[in-house]
Amino acid sequence: MSGLLAALTGARPLLLDGGLGSMLIARGLGGGEAPERWVLERGEEVAAVHRAYVEAGADAVQTATFGAHPARLARAGLEGRAGEVARAAVALARAAGAPFVIGDLGPSGEYLPPVGRADAGELALGFERLAAALAAAGVDALHVETMSDRREAALALAAALRAAPGVPVLVSLTFERRPRGFFTVMGDPLVASLAELAAAGAAAVGANCTLASSDMLELARAARAALATPLVVQPNAGRPILEAGVTRYAQAPEAFAADLAAIAALGVEAVGGCCGTDPDFIAALRRRLRAPAGGPR
Amino acid sequence: MDEVRYEAMRAAVRDGDAAAAAALAASVVASGEDAVAAVERGFAAGIRDVGVLWEQGEYFLPELVQGAEAMKAAMAALAPALARGGAAGAARGRVVIGTVAGDLHDIGKSLVATLLAAHGFEVFDLGSDVPVEAFVAKARATGARIVAASALLTTTMTVQRDLVRAIAAAGFEPPVRVLVGGAPTSEAWAAEIGAGYAENALRAVAAAEALLG
Repeated sequence: MSGLLAALTGARPLLLDGGLGSMLIARGLGGGEAPERWVLERGEEVAAVHRAYVEAGADAVQTATFGAHPARLARAGLEGRAGEVARAAVALARAAGAPFVIGDLGPSGEYLPPVGRADAGELALGFERLAAALAAAGVDALHVETMSDRREAALALAAALRAAPGVPVLVSLTFERRPRGFFTVMGDPLVASLAELAAAGAAAVGANCTLASSDMLELARAARAALATPLVVQPNAGRPILEAGVTRYAQAPEAFAADLAAIAALGVEAVGGCCGTDPDFIAALRRRLRAPAGGPR
Repeated sequence: MDEVRYEAMRAAVRDGDAAAAAALAASVVASGEDAVAAVERGFAAGIRDVGVLWEQGEYFLPELVQGAEAMKAAMAALAPALARGGAAGAARGRVVIGTVAGDLHDIGKSLVATLLAAHGFEVFDLGSDVPVEAFVAKARATGARIVAASALLTTTMTVQRDLVRAIAAAGFEPPVRVLVGGAPTSEAWAAEIGAGYAENALRAVAAAEALLG
């Protein structure tokens, strides 16, 4: 069993990191500029964010490869550089000294019919290339995340399992709260979608982005009640608010940490943050997860 | 036309069947029937159904996209008949639309463009990653009364403010109004920068109509 798989099924929840893109923006990454460009050109900034999360107590950091699907890199002016980005991103994450490094696989940015015209085979090939490069660079696991179409998540998962045999693959979809429950924007329902991904070989399944921690707590309850597969949950820090031209998120670290501790107490195996969360959120959560017996978990 | 035909038109849009919608529209044109009634009592009723089903949580993005495409197909087939009847798009007004500079998100903006066109606006879609100057130049070239700008990132929504300022600085007469939307935007944000606001693609049509007063 890989070290990360053991940690996923251990007595304590695995603490992931928080937002990366929002942290890089705070360090001057321009609007619409690809973080992957910073991986190649300003690696010290990316490394500093990883280090801050490790210092905050994260057990695992996720590589700055959210937008490194070859199709997405091409649109960002980085065509053909997925392998190079993957190698550099893993080295930056590894240098931060985290116990685990998780290779991040974000959406391709293209849409399958009927919403778009993407070809499933081409999308899969892109994920395969990126997953192979991340695995070759020595990641402990891969995380397919922020997927709003379970079909893309499933093909990314299959591609990762093919390209990186033996490397555990976590899969997170992005859900919205709709009148009839939690669904992706494409209409994929919570439990059925996660069950399908678990059956397809995901080491853990769950949700990240869009939802705030209070909604994510409700989602986690529903998922835990239905699924025995390890779960991974990474909410946003509330909703983004723009003040005087600067983006900030609505939630304070302690409120976030309280909800996430409750999520962990449900038996959710991996927790962390998404957009708007920073090392303060992870540090607040670390303090709660270390609470003595009688505290959460 | 009888109720059964209107209901078929409505169902074609509601079910996202573009081929059926186009065929029904073509039959209206071929028989010289009332194209405006076909829109109002048939196809547009269908797109309103799509909106209701979405609000109820029954429909999701794929159904919205397919419904809008069916509506667009019907409107394209009806265009010659509508033009003869004096109900041409220009009467509803021209709209320049795009996703702002630095932002590649295309779906919501394209859905708004399709729905505006389906409701009789003449739409000039500049795509995504559109610089402020390109919006202004296109508004000038087309005589559009509305510039609609989508932003899906908190980092790019500030460009919407730049756009409002640039449109104001260009001194259009009659004035050009800016309509904004996208996940991170809000009524409060739109009010702050002096733009109209649409919470989602289905509301954008009413918002555009309101801006034209």
